[in-house]
Amino acid sequence: MSKNSNVPARSKVLSRRETRTAYLFLLPALVFFIGFVIIPMVLCLITSFFNYTMGDFSFIGIENYVKMFQDDIFLVALKNTILIVVVAVPTVTAFSLWVGASIYNMHAISRSFFRCIFYLPVVTGSVAVSVVWKWMFNKYNGLFNNVLTGMGVIDQKISWLGDERFALWCIIVILFTTSIGQPIVLYVAALGNVDPSQTEAAEVDGATKFQTFWKIKWPAIMPTTLYILIITTINSFQCYALIQLLTSGGPNHSTETIMYYIYYQAFKLNNYGYGNAMGIFLAIIIAIFSAIQLRVGKSDN
Amino acid sequence: MNSGIKTKKTYDVIVMIIMIILAILFAFPLYWIITGSFKDAAAINAAVPEWFPHNPIKDNYVRLMAKPAFKWLFNAVFISVTSMALTCITASMAGYALAKKRFAGQKTLFTLLICAMALPKQVVLVPLLKEMSFLGLHDTMWAVILPTVGWPFGIFLLKQFSEGIPTEMLEAVRIDGAGEIQTFTTMVLPMVKPGIGALAIFTFISTWNDYFLQLIMLNSSDVLTISLGIAKLQAEMSNDFGLIMAGASLGAIPIVAIFLMFQKYFTQGITMGAVKG
Amino acid sequence: MKKFLALLLTGAMTMSLVACGKQEAAPSNEDANAPAEAPAEEAPAEEPAADDAAAAPADGAVAGDITLWTYPVGKFGDAEAVGELVAAFNQKYPDVNVTVEYLDYQTGDDQVTAAIEAGTTPDLVLEGPERLVANWGAKGKMIDLSDLWDADTTADITANSAAVEAACKSSDGAYYEYPLCMTTHTMCINQELFEEADAMQYINEDRTWTVENFEKALQALKDHGVETTGVVYCGGQGGDQGTRALAMNLYNAQWTDAGHTEWTMNSAEGVKGLQQLKDWVDAGLLSSDAGIVASDEIQLFANETIAMSFCWNAANQLTYAAQTAFTPYAVAFPSEDGVPELCGGIWGFGIFDNGDAAKVDAAKAFIKFVCDDPTQGPESVKLTGFFPVRSSFGNIYEGTEDEERMTVYASFAQWLGDYYNVTLGWAEQRTAWWNLLQQIFGGEDVQTAADNYVNTCNEATTAASN
Repeated sequence: MSKNSNVPARSKVLSRRETRTAYLFLLPALVFFIGFVIIPMVLCLITSFFNYTMGDFSFIGIENYVKMFQDDIFLVALKNTILIVVVAVPTVTAFSLWVGASIYNMHAISRSFFRCIFYLPVVTGSVAVSVVWKWMFNKYNGLFNNVLTGMGVIDQKISWLGDERFALWCIIVILFTTSIGQPIVLYVAALGNVDPSQTEAAEVDGATKFQTFWKIKWPAIMPTTLYILIITTINSFQCYALIQLLTSGGPNHSTETIMYYIYYQAFKLNNYGYGNAMGIFLAIIIAIFSAIQLRVGKSDN
Repeated sequence: MNSGIKTKKTYDVIVMIIMIILAILFAFPLYWIITGSFKDAAAINAAVPEWFPHNPIKDNYVRLMAKPAFKWLFNAVFISVTSMALTCITASMAGYALAKKRFAGQKTLFTLLICAMALPKQVVLVPLLKEMSFLGLHDTMWAVILPTVGWPFGIFLLKQFSEGIPTEMLEAVRIDGAGEIQTFTTMVLPMVKPGIGALAIFTFISTWNDYFLQLIMLNSSDVLTISLGIAKLQAEMSNDFGLIMAGASLGAIPIVAIFLMFQKYFTQGITMGAVKG
Repeated sequence: MKKFLALLLTGAMTMSLVACGKQEAAPSNEDANAPAEAPAEEAPAEEPAADDAAAAPADGAVAGDITLWTYPVGKFGDAEAVGELVAAFNQKYPDVNVTVEYLDYQTGDDQVTAAIEAGTTPDLVLEGPERLVANWGAKGKMIDLSDLWDADTTADITANSAAVEAACKSSDGAYYEYPLCMTTHTMCINQELFEEADAMQYINEDRTWTVENFEKALQALKDHGVETTGVVYCGGQGGDQGTRALAMNLYNAQWTDAGHTEWTMNSAEGVKGLQQLKDWVDAGLLSSDAGIVASDEIQLFANETIAMSFCWNAANQLTYAAQTAFTPYAVAFPSEDGVPELCGGIWGFGIFDNGDAAKVDAAKAFIKFVCDDPTQGPESVKLTGFFPVRSSFGNIYEGTEDEERMTVYASFAQWLGDYYNVTLGWAEQRTAWWNLLQQIFGGEDVQTAADNYVNTCNEATTAASN
């Protein structure tokens, strides 16, 4: 149909050329992405329909998916995972925004200092961090029990990680400290780049600090916020190293997360097919969460 | 006006105090690890905490050096730096194309990237293992580097940063007769530099800390990394915390160095553009 | 776009087929006509074994590169000590090049799993029957070592303990482990503290005690002002043999049936023992903690926060010697009739089926040298810090500085119980066990929780034996 008119033909040539250029730019990344992410992902999807263990590989249709919803531990893990996400994502985002807003206009040295400090738990590595936290939460000579009994807040020593009421919250606290470093770095960068003439103009017009923030800075950093929300959601859904190192999912499955349960099924029991089915399910949930965030973020703009 | 300044000052002081308290809390684990690496087992596990080592010892480091710790450190740096460099190059090109080009399959590709990011890495480990074994790369450092570079996180980040480049500026350069590659290197790269700085840090650190991928892909002690080395220092019947802390302290040095090296990029440049797609 | 996806899928399928094909070819090529989906792992293990037996290694004729992975059994986790062992081996077999990698109990199993899936397993591995026989052996990853178990060897080992041979042999009669050493796991008390609390009187001369006396001792410690006497740890699987032995011994329960096909801790005796633990915890005589595992508990014992440890053996005493300012006094687990049945540990070598007969020969030569050589054998056992499985080695610690300590631990061997760890489904059982303890101490009905535990384990056993 483009034969009939010159203009669309030219634009089609142009757009074809643009497509070609785009794919040339994408090529190196796509080689890695398809080779080492998509192919394993497709394999993962396919094998989730198999009874795939160390000694067996036979097609069983959707049996793994059916089994999943009859598995009480999986359902508990699902509940815990969602709780972690619902608590951790807003607190991490809000707190890192507050820290970012508080330090971005400080003197360069103190700004660097604080940015570095909040990044330290990330730098330390999860194995070593978990050793320290395990000591702090320890019932017998841990830091928290010493401080709290000293202040008279509690009179019985508590096994923080060994108590169903507290264990998951302890995990969330540690997850929180290891998650906020990256958002703070991004927020400081984003806030530092909001056009100062706009905020000044607003202040001259008599806007309060809060109004300036809400009307000018918040929209300007919205893309960063959205990005942080998505990344934090993905990371919180995939929380497992801390659990492996601290509680193994206990006590009484109160810290069981889907990710830990997948690891347990796949690497401890060699039920790869079942683990993959849960992984696909988890990916779908995360994708839905991300899609909702993207949608909300876009309608905000 | 006067009282306004006063409240602002009080507010600033309060914020500063809270910040300092938080700073102490956040710095504490690393402080405890570094000081712990100079304590003996009895002092580390003492019922009354030793806030500063009374009798600092270097035994933990001596025992760490008896293991190929520097080899592990070198391996970790090699893996992390290579992953970092490859990720930054491929992601900045792809991010630019996704943000500033219109092409067939764009939407699908972006959706695919988000979905791939959502899929937990642990799930694809077994297929990845088979693939590496097929390529003959299992138990080599490439088995860790290649999947890390493939992970679409970097493309996503740099797409967001590239969205912030004003399209008019790109067009102006193009009208001046600049080719695609020239536009990219002289125009796009300098503008997304803060994003590349952030990505460099994130990639380096996540590669460094991703001990599970390393555990699955690396067997031989001449390809082990320091994080994996530390993880393997835990025994079933005894906790050799001194050795773990010495390893963690040694392992923290390169990360802090990388952070300090790249953080200056954040002070300049642009912010992320709106999320589309 | 559809084309693109289709291409992707085709690529992936080809990849998976190739990968599967390779997996099949790599471990054992004697089973080339197996259907595509059926894994090579199910191939009968007898066939390669027969080949190997025919080509039995002649001294000095073996050559090649082999890899040994060791779990940290005593000094087998120590590069220097193992280096000396390999050097001694190379004196006799200069053409075999042995590369050693060191595993740990936290990550080792994941690493072996990965190696099995990637087809990069080592030739030799040092661990116990629960992994070599009941896990990797049962899944067809190991080579039958029947030819090493000749009549003399079997007689020599059986003379010491019949349980060892049974543990190294799979249900289909193949030997997947060639054992080096063994020990009994005990518990341990703080002797000075017990003396101060006047509680030593409750322990018999032969280091056994009854449930009644154990309770009296707990009461005496409490009266003496000890805040926490002992902790039933259940935060994970680390050192779970201790809590198992404690619960099982109290009223002389059995963990499994004699044939290792069913789990039996929901029996009247088992439940009574579990209930007793719960009652002691409720009364404040003992503590439970789902926040720690054995290594943490031993640490608390070593720095005198608690008065006893449920996870102890000869090697632990040595490991913690520098940290303990008191006398650790090893005792058996308390039981109603005062006759304990202790958990054993049996460690030895297994060979992964990598489809290379020359490497298998070299690996077998290594095993024979390390375990059977009249001079090296006892030295190898000393490296582990435990006791020889061969009766002909006699008392290897005689005349050494370890003699006194090891004599004490040797005395526990008479109470060595059934090695039920080889029951299939072991990995599921381990997790189910500490979960059971968490449920009981969390207030769940003991009989119900124990029934659930047994059901979970039995299902796993059934699944694993199909």
